Amino acid sequence: MLTVMLISVALVVFLAGNLVRVVKFLRMPSPLRWELYPIPKGPQERQRYGGSYFEDSDWWTKPRASSHKSEAVFVLKEVFLLRGVWENFRGLWLWSWLLHWGLYLYLLITLFAIGEALLPADAGALVLHAALIYGYRLACPLGLAGALGMLAMRSWHPRVRAFTTRTGIFDLLLLGSIFATGNLLLTTGPDGLHSMIRGLARFPTRLGNHSVTWHLHVCLVAFFLAYFPFTHMTHAYMKYFMWHQVRWDDSASVHDPYAAKELAVNLQRKTSWAAAHIAAGGTAAWSEIVADADGNGAGKRA
Amino acid sequence: MHKVSDIASKCGQFSQAPVQSLMPLPAPYDRIADLPPRKVLNQKVLDKIDTSLDGFSALGLARPQTRKEEQKFVERFLSGLEKLLSKENNWTFIEQLKLSLEHCARCQTCVEACPIYTASGHDEVYRPTFRSEVFRRLVNEYAKPGGKALAWLKGEHVELNAATLGRLLESAYRCTLCRRCAQACPMGVDNALLTREVRKLFSMEMGIAPKEIHEKGSMLQLRTGSSTGMNARAVRDNVSFLDGEIRDQTGLRIETPWDKEGADVLLIHNAGEILAWPENPMAFAIILEAAGISWTMSSELAGYDSVNYGLWYDDAQFARVAVRQAEAARKLKVKKIVLGECGHGHKASMVTADRILTGDLNIPRESALVLLRDIVISGRLKLDPSRNDFPVTLHDPCNMVRMMGIVEPQREILRAICPQFREMTPHGVNNYCCGGGSGFAIMSGYNFEDWRFSVAGRTKLKQILDAFADCPSPDVKKYVCAPCSNCKGQFRDLFQYYGVWEKSGILYGGLAELIVNAMADINQPFIKWEFH
Ligand code: SF4
Ligand code: SF4
Repeated sequence: MLTVMLISVALVVFLAGNLVRVVKFLRMPSPLRWELYPIPKGPQERQRYGGSYFEDSDWWTKPRASSHKSEAVFVLKEVFLLRGVWENFRGLWLWSWLLHWGLYLYLLITLFAIGEALLPADAGALVLHAALIYGYRLACPLGLAGALGMLAMRSWHPRVRAFTTRTGIFDLLLLGSIFATGNLLLTTGPDGLHSMIRGLARFPTRLGNHSVTWHLHVCLVAFFLAYFPFTHMTHAYMKYFMWHQVRWDDSASVHDPYAAKELAVNLQRKTSWAAAHIAAGGTAAWSEIVADADGNGAGKRA
Repeated sequence: MHKVSDIASKCGQFSQAPVQSLMPLPAPYDRIADLPPRKVLNQKVLDKIDTSLDGFSALGLARPQTRKEEQKFVERFLSGLEKLLSKENNWTFIEQLKLSLEHCARCQTCVEACPIYTASGHDEVYRPTFRSEVFRRLVNEYAKPGGKALAWLKGEHVELNAATLGRLLESAYRCTLCRRCAQACPMGVDNALLTREVRKLFSMEMGIAPKEIHEKGSMLQLRTGSSTGMNARAVRDNVSFLDGEIRDQTGLRIETPWDKEGADVLLIHNAGEILAWPENPMAFAIILEAAGISWTMSSELAGYDSVNYGLWYDDAQFARVAVRQAEAARKLKVKKIVLGECGHGHKASMVTADRILTGDLNIPRESALVLLRDIVISGRLKLDPSRNDFPVTLHDPCNMVRMMGIVEPQREILRAICPQFREMTPHGVNNYCCGGGSGFAIMSGYNFEDWRFSVAGRTKLKQILDAFADCPSPDVKKYVCAPCSNCKGQFRDLFQYYGVWEKSGILYGGLAELIVNAMADINQPFIKWEFH
């Protein structure tokens, strides 16, 4: 029962933690532009060399082509093939790829298994059932190999060793333990992991007899879920914002009906930067700071 | 190998930055012994200023002399840190800052992309992630609730003292903000942005910034109209002198139009061109007149100087200059602003200021490279490419190319008028910075130039030499086309330092000059092949 409670609480923390993170981000003020090329938008010919609409004369009068297909292709390559690591740090790629694929498969199969468990008993097709079992058989060894490889890299490779933190090691040990116990469960019965997920998905009030490995695995997963929103691993989804809202955000204010309104709000914000050429120990609205061209310290009189 | 926490060490120099470790260059630049000797700072200076990062000083930061002064220094930093993380004080960049602070996997995928780190022979102090990691740990430990306990638990404690801050600040001026590392990061983390935020904190809270870009840069520009110190009268006098030069050199009678209301184009040069490379504004005047463009220059405050140094270190200074430039254009009711050959001026005005210049300040802004491309391709000028029959390579200014995607217009021109045009490797959006980016080209500090040339500009120099590897002799005159004033400043100094003109016959210059050099109607060659 305790195990079921634990995983339930962990799920709530996981969902709430991630939600808070996203909401916090969405409530940030509209920032200045900071894009970086190449950006997978615009005509294919331009994308080939990383060109932008700034290459057009009178660009503000021209229609803007945006290509969701190119963005999707870029993201898929990044997520499934780890393109960036492949191109810039080949030695790390294999281990990172194995770890990521272990995680993706584990997550995917688990979602399917939960779905299957929640369906009426006879709805679960045999084929799906078998696919899920084999899915776990693939996910756990991949993930374990990836975690061990990454641990080895972190410990000896001169490029990463000095920048390896305790947290980095801890995260890999945690993931490695999840995959290791998952592997052990796979050896206890033909569908060890799968039946565990099915069992848990129905929120049982009694669990029956399970091995220590079983409990350990569930506890590790629970810990991981509750811990995840507070780590850099949230890059899994925050990357969306880092790419779409920063690197690829080339939207020009001339085409944005809200730009002036957002600026007006931002200019009314009060700032207290203390340098003599800014607020000089006082407080002033950004509009006053910008108007104070001589840099006499717009906040002085405050 | 240093640990990140060693940044706080109170004794000695963090890195010796040994010349022996520098990335090798091709002959005849391969002998380290031939490098000009590094400037030796005398003990009096060393006692006064902080050189404890790598023996160089870009800022001449005064060391706190007493415990109380040190405490005050640290307190001011902490107060700035708090502001940097607040929406009210940092609405401009807080989104990007937080994303980059919170999502680094410390995977080091980005580090080999950095031309400074690799040119130094992988000196840890120049690793793109080094200063970011120091800064991240300071934020986590000193600006977040429970930060101290967590830092101890995670083994990420960094002592916050004058040594840490002095080194962090200097290290923020060992990165050209070229953003090559950001391009390589699979997460989207931007070490250049973090570097700029560190610079910003020191400037906006503590009033500490390199004098060349603050007092003698943006402050001077806001006071006189230009970071060169030229006021409206001086700039008009100087340009009128250049009009005379055009007449003498080419026989063409051109009078640069000033403050012409309703012109199609307001041309804003980096005013430094007028003084240091006058052939560039002269070439522009010749081309625009020959193409029949309705154009003007402005004598309003900041309306004749496209530089905006705030882009590199201070949001307030940045916004002030951007608004003044747009006001000048609004006053003249021009159809568009065209930015001359100045990379950071392009990015500042067309990208970063875009969400500041709304309403009637949102005068359309375009790159001169685009206008020049249109003129050349339209056939309005009679051009004879055989006049440019010498080896030419192209430098891609980071701000125009990696940060704006203006890649092809300059190439279309060069392919049309330079038969021996060849690319550098890599080029376009993957180019290497000239080593003078983010203000370095105008900074000399105490002995900063030694570092700027021997480390920061090294990768670029190698690239240029490689591009001309088929014709290394100084007798074959070669041209590096650098359509950016700051990059030209760096090339001038870098080439001088290594003796590139004498040893390899390589000259640098702008793009407009090559166009005028190819103009069939002009009798004399426009490019003079004199190093300056
Ligand atoms: S900045 Fe990006 S590539 Fe570099 S260490 Fe951090 S996550 Fe890895
Ligand atoms: S921005 Fe450029 S110079 Fe700075 S760390 Fe990144 S790659 Fe190096």
